[in-house]
Amino acid sequence: MPELFHRKLERSAIGFVLAIIAAASVGGIVEIAPLFTIDETVEEAPDMRVYTPLELAGRNIYVREGCYACHSQMIRTLRDEVERYGPYSRAVESQYDRPMLWGSKRTGPDLARVGGKYSDFWHVAHLINPRDVVPESNMPAYAFLARTELRTNDLGEHLAAQQALGVPYTDEMVANAARDAYGQAFPDSEAASGVSERYGEATSVSAFDGVATRLTEMDALVAYLQVLGRLTDAAFRDTAATEQAPDAED
Amino acid sequence: MIGRLTSTERQYAAVVLSLLVVAGIAMAALGRNDALGVHGVLVILFAGGLLYAVLSAFFEPEPREDREASYYDDPIKAGIVLSMAWAVFGMFMGVWVAAQLAWPSLAFDAAWSTFGRLRPTHTSGVIFGFGGNALIATSFHVVQRTSRARLAGQFSPWFVLFGFNLFCVLAVSGYLLGVTQSKEYAEAEWYADLWLVIVWITYLVLFLRTIARRREPHIYVANWYFMAFIVVVAILHIVNNLAVPISWGHAKSYTIWPGVQDAMVQWWYGHNAVAFFLTAGFLGMLYYYLPVRAQRPIFSYRLSILSFWGITFFYMWAGSHHLHYTALPHWVQTLGMTFSVMLLVPSWASAGNALLTLNGAWHRVRDDATLRFMMAAAVFYGLSTFEGSFMAIRPVNALSHYTDWTVGHVHAGALGWVALITFGSLYTLVPALWKRERMYSARLVEVHFWLAIAGTLIYVFAMWNSGIIQGLMWRTYTEDGALAYSFVDSLVAMYPYYIARAFGGLLFLIGALICSYNIWMTVRSVPLAERRDSDVPAAVAVPGE
Amino acid sequence: MFEISHETLVAFSKSWGLFYLMGFFLCVVAYAFWPSNRKRFDRAKTSILDRDDKPWK
Repeated sequence: MPELFHRKLERSAIGFVLAIIAAASVGGIVEIAPLFTIDETVEEAPDMRVYTPLELAGRNIYVREGCYACHSQMIRTLRDEVERYGPYSRAVESQYDRPMLWGSKRTGPDLARVGGKYSDFWHVAHLINPRDVVPESNMPAYAFLARTELRTNDLGEHLAAQQALGVPYTDEMVANAARDAYGQAFPDSEAASGVSERYGEATSVSAFDGVATRLTEMDALVAYLQVLGRLTDAAFRDTAATEQAPDAED
Repeated sequence: MIGRLTSTERQYAAVVLSLLVVAGIAMAALGRNDALGVHGVLVILFAGGLLYAVLSAFFEPEPREDREASYYDDPIKAGIVLSMAWAVFGMFMGVWVAAQLAWPSLAFDAAWSTFGRLRPTHTSGVIFGFGGNALIATSFHVVQRTSRARLAGQFSPWFVLFGFNLFCVLAVSGYLLGVTQSKEYAEAEWYADLWLVIVWITYLVLFLRTIARRREPHIYVANWYFMAFIVVVAILHIVNNLAVPISWGHAKSYTIWPGVQDAMVQWWYGHNAVAFFLTAGFLGMLYYYLPVRAQRPIFSYRLSILSFWGITFFYMWAGSHHLHYTALPHWVQTLGMTFSVMLLVPSWASAGNALLTLNGAWHRVRDDATLRFMMAAAVFYGLSTFEGSFMAIRPVNALSHYTDWTVGHVHAGALGWVALITFGSLYTLVPALWKRERMYSARLVEVHFWLAIAGTLIYVFAMWNSGIIQGLMWRTYTEDGALAYSFVDSLVAMYPYYIARAFGGLLFLIGALICSYNIWMTVRSVPLAERRDSDVPAAVAVPGE
Repeated sequence: MFEISHETLVAFSKSWGLFYLMGFFLCVVAYAFWPSNRKRFDRAKTSILDRDDKPWK
């Protein structure tokens, strides 16, 4: 039977294509399909907030500049990683991340919990020229971020697109996106209060790049870096034992 | 080229290109405040330039020869030239970014020249530009010769080839402009992705229609691999790139996959891009050009069938080994690891099959650098698939992941396997296609071979060393239980290896330049072969036979 | 995906995937070693080495 079957398949190349699809798709389906019900197995994080418009803009700069090529945002369950970077990453922590930025290479250190580890001032100096702060660094200089005005007129569209995909942005957040981006980087302005109203008191409102006269891409990126690992404290609540690397067992 | 098309086909080309110009205008208008507008202009220039070429030859006399009596080789020739152009570009970018890691000042004070933006121009340039064009060209050649049928279309091969290159241009220029999804090996944004879907489906239809024309009862196994390459890449590409643009006037989109699902989909894609783009397609090359060059049939045809289905089936499961010890569910990680180890069986079956084909012709491998390229490719294929299965084992991955070891592994495959089999195939194909009696210089092929081998070995050894040192430094503890090294300590230890790696890459780039020169001179100055019918040049520069 | 729990889906995935794998493997082996296919494979193996360089029609 298989012989006859296969001879037919070959005759019509289309059948052959279907056979290839049948062989190749199983693995993907088996591994990916159950992930759609993963919500049931993932720890909950009711305290988790969404990215503010400024942080989202910063995240998009991180995406645009391809930072993932050298920095991971995924602390593995290994003891040395937890001691170096903090509690290992939970699935729930990246539930609003599109795309996820777990990364695959650490030419530089992991950034999953870099938020709050250094001052805004440190980040700005480091981004302008990493070697001023870390002489041995081989990271590119991002001085141009401080010179580039942040584009805010389309932030509402960004939030609306995320909202359409299921990220819990409210209509009010969408409507005030540009204003909130401005307010978060100008603590003394009127717009600042709206940010803490909509995104919570714990949201850091600060002149991130140290210049309170204009809103730059530097503001956005530093705001994003400072919130990494701090959208929820789920990872700090239950800390199951980590694994010692060499004798890890399945 | 256009003289070989009938007037109907010329009209067809003109209409398609005009539509593309209109699409470009729409992109330019809608995206005038965005990088999308720049890409609109690029599309207008690309399609407009081709339209100009078509229109200026529009009223030339129609072809009079019987086109069905010969194979359609013009698109293949163009594909080879494009492939080599991308090889030089992509490898140059690779050397540049490698040098930036050793000497970070090798960038301008401008966004486009930072590592993060240049790195995908290297990966896309070599994988899609060099590899993709080589695959399209060789698949067009192999499917015609093994089916003894002419390509089923006059215009569609050109559409596939130029359409694919438009995708590459949009992708690579996009990274420099800051247009990227930051999905590794799938960085291009939504409109380029949509365009690639159209091109790819045309490619599939063209390929299937050509196979349907065959007189041979059986589809030769090389075509199976090309088919798997085309079909599965289509599936991977579509699923991984499902995204919602924030508006029709924006280049930016958000993927529909959030967080952990995105991670799984991304590495299901990423790993199978390796499987079906960088392995299946190039195995197609191997199963045709190696026997042809060696003038010996493949050692075991049955084995090639078994390994084909093994590779097609197993690879799809293995992607999750990129996510060991992460927030991905544990059972998915275990499944990925198991199948990655099982993959070794069909992979080594292919490598062994290739090497056993050469058994008994080792004197030719010794004398003919082209055949040696293919033999070395099979050896590197065997080595890097073994390494890959090994690295997919969780405890090994604990050490290797996030380090340069991964980069070394990828390049053992990409330089040692993909590039070497491509060069071997091109050196076989070029004289046959242009009907020359041989390559311009056998000596330069020899030089290229040793540059490529030396470059690959230097590169891979440097990355093995740096990766393992890095991994060990990150997990070394002092006697009182504290981490012994800071991250910066591990970075400082990498610098010598980064320099060595850039040097290895440079050797490989020089080899590619020599190859381009050799191909160019072959086309320009080597006399036509006497037996014009011969597909394979008889005894191609094999001294001592 | 509507009422199916994660565990059920995972269990189904794992068992069905395994049976599928074994079934597939058997079919492929049967095809590759089916005696009457031998001739066709041998022809395919050697026919690519022919020097003829024209389409058949």
